[in-house]
Amino acid sequence: MFDMICAGFAEALHVANLFFVLLGVIAGVIAGAIPGINGPMAIALCIPLSYYMSPVAAIGFLVGLNKGAFFGGSISGILLNTPGTPESAATTWDGHPLAQQGKGEKALRTALYASVTGDAFATLVLILVAAPLAAVALYMGPPEVFALICMAMTIIAGLGTKSMIRGLIAASLGVLIGTIGIEPVSAMPRLTFGIVSLERGISLIPIGIGMLAFSEIIIQLERIIGDKGKTEVLSFSPRPEDRFVSLKEYLGCAVTLLRSSIAGTIVGALPGLGAPVASFFAYDQAVKHSKHPEEFGTGRLEGIAASESANSAVVASSLIPLFTLGIPGNMAAALLIGAFVLHGMTPGPLMFEQNAQFIYAIYGSLIVANIFLLGVGQLGLKVFCKMVSIPPLVLYPIIIFTCVMGSYLSQYSSFDVTLMIAFSLLAYFMRKFEYSFICLIIGFILAPIWETSLQQVIIASEQDPFMFFKHPVADILMVLTFIVICKSVFSIRKG
Amino acid sequence: MTQTLRNGISYSIVALFSGSLLLWIIPGWSPEYPGYGVPATLLPNIAAGFMLVLALLGILRTVQQRLKSKGGTETEKIHWRHLVAFLFPCVLLMPAMSLVGFIPAGVVFMTVIQLACGQRRWMPLTIVAILPVVIVYALMRFALGVPMP
Repeated sequence: MFDMICAGFAEALHVANLFFVLLGVIAGVIAGAIPGINGPMAIALCIPLSYYMSPVAAIGFLVGLNKGAFFGGSISGILLNTPGTPESAATTWDGHPLAQQGKGEKALRTALYASVTGDAFATLVLILVAAPLAAVALYMGPPEVFALICMAMTIIAGLGTKSMIRGLIAASLGVLIGTIGIEPVSAMPRLTFGIVSLERGISLIPIGIGMLAFSEIIIQLERIIGDKGKTEVLSFSPRPEDRFVSLKEYLGCAVTLLRSSIAGTIVGALPGLGAPVASFFAYDQAVKHSKHPEEFGTGRLEGIAASESANSAVVASSLIPLFTLGIPGNMAAALLIGAFVLHGMTPGPLMFEQNAQFIYAIYGSLIVANIFLLGVGQLGLKVFCKMVSIPPLVLYPIIIFTCVMGSYLSQYSSFDVTLMIAFSLLAYFMRKFEYSFICLIIGFILAPIWETSLQQVIIASEQDPFMFFKHPVADILMVLTFIVICKSVFSIRKG
Repeated sequence: MTQTLRNGISYSIVALFSGSLLLWIIPGWSPEYPGYGVPATLLPNIAAGFMLVLALLGILRTVQQRLKSKGGTETEKIHWRHLVAFLFPCVLLMPAMSLVGFIPAGVVFMTVIQLACGQRRWMPLTIVAILPVVIVYALMRFALGVPMP
């Protein structure tokens, strides 16, 4: 065991891996700093590139990208009052007033230290908790897995969306799209409409790029076309006390940091809630526990610390359900499943038995990415601040071209480009009609596991209609799912 | 379009789509039950059936809302021209690359997309039209060894 841990961490410290993690962090900060681009979008665009990396380097690169994007989101939030990512919205409430006072650099450094603290805390919890939880999860059979996926999708559809009905419809559509391709029992094509390219199934890359990146850019362009107003980037004060965060100031936020990191870790480990919920909840708690709640919103460092530490804690803690149960807690984790599968691995409790060294290498990459984030953030802060002023008219056409080429790159197939465009069109209408495309992607990713467990349950029980009653854990999970759905139906009847 | 109307339209489309899935598409495009294991239609039928039930519930909810209050808040508009302006060049890009080559088709594509975005300054337009295409070509062809379209 100890050998595995050492070998894993040694693999994480390999030069090539360090390089890709660093590249991921830098690219993530740049992507996050640009308003309209977020971590999942950057991951979707970069998954095709991860083909050309070793599995550890690929996951390290994508995790670094996600971590960097979480911090990068705060840069545009603080300087432009336009959060680069939804989870950075709470950061702007105190960050932007500080920037208006000329203390933008101080606000950004607070955001950086809070991000690193929150992430370090959650990574520690992940390392301590994931292996024991995975050991428990190994006792789960197909009925429990089936019931767990039902419950996870219901929770994600219920909590992560405005309407549970629309969330569940989107998840069901995702499951349906996931069944396209060769059917596992008969090995015959299913729902392929005679199109040979569909027989290998639909890859995550055209769906991810089309729904997350391409449709987002089309919607962003809708908003900016015709808006000729220039955004003003605030200048920094040269006084050291307005630029740097002293140890006293950092320690003054220690309780807030700890509380918010715990909140972010818990929220991140629960499927469906996501980083925005964590940051708003942590900010609210910081206000409630403060001796000067009236000062929040005017430029308090604690406000920035609460929001940033909570949302960064989500990055690592969202890997807990992924590693232990194989269920993605949020969009970034769902895309990481795709990256794992590309490299021949299936996330879940068996990974700890079959690929323990790989898991420890990922842990090592998570720690390294956090250290890199601190270094990159400290050294390149002013350069990253310049990124917020890149004109969208220059940037967005480049992203559109990258989307097209990225989807081609996945299987060197023009058909994937067509699929990407089709899914971006679907996502465009889903956004306009307020259907969650995140639920669709998670449903799509979970469809094969769900179908396999359902088939195993039915075959093993010899088509016994009461098969679930023989599995108490599965019963509890199904009852919980039923309660969540009934609650939604009851609220419908209530009007 | 009001929120109630939008919900009504979307739930009706989902109900019709899932109904046609259950009646025609899934039975017509799935392999027959081989006599062992689980029928190939099981999971698609569950998903489509669930969509149908939820869409009907949604229609019920929309009707209830409609009876209680007329109208509702306005929703975001669908910009059809904008959508076509971006998607049409993307659809044509791959065939154009096969026809005239990666770089010429890429440069024309980037120019069209930039014009659709509203770029009118010739200098950034030229640089953004040429530079990313050449960089992507070099990266894909020489660094990654990707067979180009």
